[in-house]
Amino acid sequence: MTRLVRIELLKLRTVRLPAGLLITAAVLTALFACTEASQAGRHGGSVGSLATAAGLRSVTTATSWAMLLAAVLGVTISTGEFRHATATLTYLATPARGRVLAAKAITAACAGALFGLVAAVIATGAGLGFAAARGDHGAHGAQFALGASTLAAHAAGAVLGAALLAALGAGLGSLVRSQLAAVVGVFIWALIIESVIGGIFTAARPYLPYTAATTLAGVQLGLGPGGFHVTVRTHPAIAAAAAPGPLPFAAAAALLAGTVIVVAVVARLTTVPRDVA
Amino acid sequence: MTTDAMSAAAPLAAAPVEARGLTKRFGPLTAVNRLSFTAPRGAITGFLGPNGAGKTTSLRMLLGLITPTEGTALINGRRYSALPGPLHAVGAVLEACTAHPGRTARNHLRIHAMAGDVPGERITRVLELTGLAGAADRRAGEFSLGMRQRLGLATALLCDPEILILDEPANGLDPEGVRWLRQLLRDLAAEGRTVLMSSHILAEVAQTADRVVIVDQGHLVAQATLAELTAGHDRGLEDAFLRLTGHTPEVPR
Repeated sequence: MTRLVRIELLKLRTVRLPAGLLITAAVLTALFACTEASQAGRHGGSVGSLATAAGLRSVTTATSWAMLLAAVLGVTISTGEFRHATATLTYLATPARGRVLAAKAITAACAGALFGLVAAVIATGAGLGFAAARGDHGAHGAQFALGASTLAAHAAGAVLGAALLAALGAGLGSLVRSQLAAVVGVFIWALIIESVIGGIFTAARPYLPYTAATTLAGVQLGLGPGGFHVTVRTHPAIAAAAAPGPLPFAAAAALLAGTVIVVAVVARLTTVPRDVA
Repeated sequence: MTTDAMSAAAPLAAAPVEARGLTKRFGPLTAVNRLSFTAPRGAITGFLGPNGAGKTTSLRMLLGLITPTEGTALINGRRYSALPGPLHAVGAVLEACTAHPGRTARNHLRIHAMAGDVPGERITRVLELTGLAGAADRRAGEFSLGMRQRLGLATALLCDPEILILDEPANGLDPEGVRWLRQLLRDLAAEGRTVLMSSHILAEVAQTADRVVIVDQGHLVAQATLAELTAGHDRGLEDAFLRLTGHTPEVPR
């Protein structure tokens, strides 16, 4: 298995798309983190002052786009083999297709973790940088409104969430095979379907995979990528009464890992054994 | 098992490549129908048939890429998926088998060298052998069809396999390339390797192959040495092929 993962990592390093996606993720993270930070504390704005935990958190957890692009990378790891007809050579070298799928999921997780790490470093750096520049200190003489342990937990969540989403993308890509359909599907699911489901069935919101991954990284429940508020909302009184909090860290991680395993097993039993013509 | 049956089975079991009653149905279409043939060691076996005869499907079944509806495809007496170190047993060039267009030829080969656990020197060796040494660091997307065929052959030869399964390997090669390929395949067969090569260019097969397997509409219509097949035909393989596939050859005026 180690050799198969090394092969998949070599495949990633020898084409331009993965690096392009990583750079895009870094740029989007920087853009949204800086935009949030520049608006923080403005009168009538949606982002609180960087001197408050909520305000600073909205900047330091601007990692949702990077996590979404990690999922897209995972999709391309699997679907690229069919788009460029390289699956033939891959399966000639390793006829045990389940092992290929497992190696791709592990590789996607490694690459996804890098996306999460880069995004966490950029977002945290932007938040702390803006706070320091403005002199927005935390309460009780603390240098910042969020402690080091909280920031580290959010960063770890971004790394883990992006890794699991990328592995999920690899599983979905194996299931669908069509790169265009899978990539479009990931965007529609994350940006539209989860918002709609989460808006209508508030109690289900924490259990939706992309939402669970973002809350793992400390994103406030109900905020889409880049801090956009979801468009579908229930009446505020009902939402306040029924809205559950985000899943605990371990529960969110277990939910995502379970989803990865279920999708991979379904792919292994259905589309993966199909003819490669 | 009777003595006769045993003696009949023995040479089949010894064949490096063997199809036993292979059948593949795609919905209502039967692409390959109870096809049995062998490719012996130390010879080039031409695999011929009109367009849509089931050649590519048969080769992909031999390589475990397409699951037969019925029958068995064996390489060295085993299914492809059961081969230990399949890249060392079989090298394959298939029609749609291309490198990622954004990857250089050298990196493409690095991946397959890692998969086959062969040293990096083999990459240099096959790049030189296939005439791609000067283009090794160009992306495969920039390659002509002929260069992609050469890269496919380089990939197939990377792990020094005993068996070569090639689907239309002369496609896109220029006349010099066709001659080079012919000599390469002859040399490999002379070393005792097994070459199974599909083609629809009969003149090329007539110059290259020792044996011929002809399929039509998924059925086996002939399996013989080239000499046996062409005996009594003025225009050699072409006459024999057209007669066997149901087309009466025109008599030249």
